[in-house]
Amino acid sequence: MTEPYMRVENLVKQFGPFTALGGVDLEVYPGEVHALLGDNGAGKSTLIKNLAGVHQPSSGQIYIEGKPVNFRSPRDASNAGIGTVYQDLALNPLMSVTRNFFMGRELKGMFGTLRMDEMNQIAHDEMLTIGIDFSDPTQAVGTMSGGQRQTLAIARAIYFGAKVLILDEPTSALGQRQQMGVLKTMMRVRSRGDIAIIFITHNEIHSKLVADRFTFLSLGKVIGQGTRETLEGGEIRRLMAGGAELGDLAKELADIG
Amino acid sequence: MANSSEASRLKEETWFQRIVRRPEIGAFVVMVVIIVGLMFASDGKAFNALGLKNNIKIISQFGIIALGAAMLMIAGEFDLSIGSMIGFAGMSMSLMLKWGLPFGLGEATPFMAFALTLVMTLGLGWFIGTVVVRSGLSSFIVTLAFLFFLRGATEVGFRLINKSTQVSGLQDFKEDSWFAHFLGGELFGWFYDAWYWIGMQFVDLGFDRKEQWFTLGGNINRRGEQWVEGFDARFLWFIVISMAAYFILSRTQLGNWIFATGDNKDAARANGVPVNRVKIGLFMFTAFCATMFAACQVFDTNTSDAAKGNLMELFAIAIAVVGGTLMTGGFGSIVGVVFGAITVGLVSNAVFFIPQIDGAWFRVFVGTILLAAVFANERIRKRITGGI
Ligand SMILES: Nc1ncnc2c1ncn2[C@@H]1O[C@H](COP(=O)(O)OP(=O)(O)OP(=O)(O)O)[C@@H](O)[C@H]1O
Ligand SMILES: [Mg+2]
Repeated sequence: MTEPYMRVENLVKQFGPFTALGGVDLEVYPGEVHALLGDNGAGKSTLIKNLAGVHQPSSGQIYIEGKPVNFRSPRDASNAGIGTVYQDLALNPLMSVTRNFFMGRELKGMFGTLRMDEMNQIAHDEMLTIGIDFSDPTQAVGTMSGGQRQTLAIARAIYFGAKVLILDEPTSALGQRQQMGVLKTMMRVRSRGDIAIIFITHNEIHSKLVADRFTFLSLGKVIGQGTRETLEGGEIRRLMAGGAELGDLAKELADIG
Repeated sequence: MANSSEASRLKEETWFQRIVRRPEIGAFVVMVVIIVGLMFASDGKAFNALGLKNNIKIISQFGIIALGAAMLMIAGEFDLSIGSMIGFAGMSMSLMLKWGLPFGLGEATPFMAFALTLVMTLGLGWFIGTVVVRSGLSSFIVTLAFLFFLRGATEVGFRLINKSTQVSGLQDFKEDSWFAHFLGGELFGWFYDAWYWIGMQFVDLGFDRKEQWFTLGGNINRRGEQWVEGFDARFLWFIVISMAAYFILSRTQLGNWIFATGDNKDAARANGVPVNRVKIGLFMFTAFCATMFAACQVFDTNTSDAAKGNLMELFAIAIAVVGGTLMTGGFGSIVGVVFGAITVGLVSNAVFFIPQIDGAWFRVFVGTILLAAVFANERIRKRITGGI
């Protein structure tokens, strides 16, 4: 078995008196999709913010390739190969695809000038390799669809050296077809073999379609972990609901009405 | 289905469609209308040798501060202290020139007066910017405070040191200081020499002098000698600042950061753009523009008073908006701002060339195009962001 690229050990995060994460363990492997599942407020976003350097853990340790690391800023994390695609994607709608792609990490020539042609070409090529042929990289991001924006944010993270790609509910705001587009994009990234993907979702079907490994969070604790082989469908559904039996939903709803 | 990719949904545009969709097109059309209208209404006087000089003077004045305001607006902030900063810088320079350097450091050369003033105004710009980014308050209210503060401080400073709120009759520094000459003197003399020469060639060929209105109009004194010696040095600074602003915005990393900061600063920050430094730097840039405005004025007229620059912050913002800059930041065009400055400058001067009109129409006009521009800009923003 390969080594995990990143390992999280007993991670605790407290916001004042409130324990958002109560000792989480996690392992992510290159070439795998790791689904992070759990109800609203379970602590999924809090966990990835600790991984991305936005928050600092109260205790516990993160290891990258076996070495302990401490991220004091998002910069530290991204230098260590953690690429995060947040729910809001961190894109600027009025700016062009290329300018967004290279935002903060522009390619500079002499005298600090932008190598615009080269940047256009790279933006176009990188997006093409993971799924969309965007003919005009000078077009404003505001005119792109949600799925295209997601692809742009993912392509950007990969181009700038992400070894762990964290996607926070990438499919939640999209229509069916675009959801499939994003899942396909994830599978293309996965097939490169060198990138680990952490995939946060509320969608059971999506997670079963793409994930190799699952972690279930509830109230800040891991309540179940396993690979696709060791977990079966019913178990996944039960764990997603925070360990409770959903029971006969139709009957419960009928009782109310 | 398979061959209908997203890319194929993008229609090829003709060059005409592309030009019509440019953000500065509105400002361009208005400018052309004004130029042509003024040409006829003034019998060409507005654009003869002398008219050109006078118009370019006021256009450059407006342009210099509007460029500063526009850059800052693109980064998502306002500066209402520009006008008061002009007054403050003018006071600082003229008092040093009249009463010597502070702390008894002796007489002030034009360069020393300018440099010391610039240090102060850049410091103020830095301070204003720091207050804005640290407090998270709206720059509108913070700079409004500095509008009052600086105007008051200017008047107090004048009274304390000079006993009166104006300085006049300063030595004509541009005579023997090249530094002062490059701020308040006349440059591009070759342009008028050439015009004069061309006009005179035609006169020698037997044409009447009056028919050479374009080259010789206002360019000749009673004795038939050349009269206009060049454009105001402001013109040079307007050109320099607009070229620099254009270059920075469209071609450099800093430009990308300015757009990103104004568009969505959280996204910019998440991608490593030093949002606060960009904003503070641009507040310093508006202070710089105000200082250049004041320096040109002081060395041109050898006077200064506490009311200088009054309302200029509002003209600067109006011109920036007319030029296609969005009030909400993230988008704007330097070329548009230049068109806007030309338009507003020409109209503000129009009364001198068409004496029968009431000069107050100027403000009616500015109000009208400002309102029109706001609507036009909003449409552009909607188109770019896909209608939200
Ligand atoms: N900065 C903070 N300060 C205090 N409490 C916080 C903070 N951030 C998150 N929390 C709390 O931590 C808990 C976990 O939140 P988190 O956003 O991680 O949930 P989540 O699993 O991502 O939920 P969702 O599925 O709705 O996105 C919530 O109860 C939330 O209120
Ligand atoms: Mg969340």
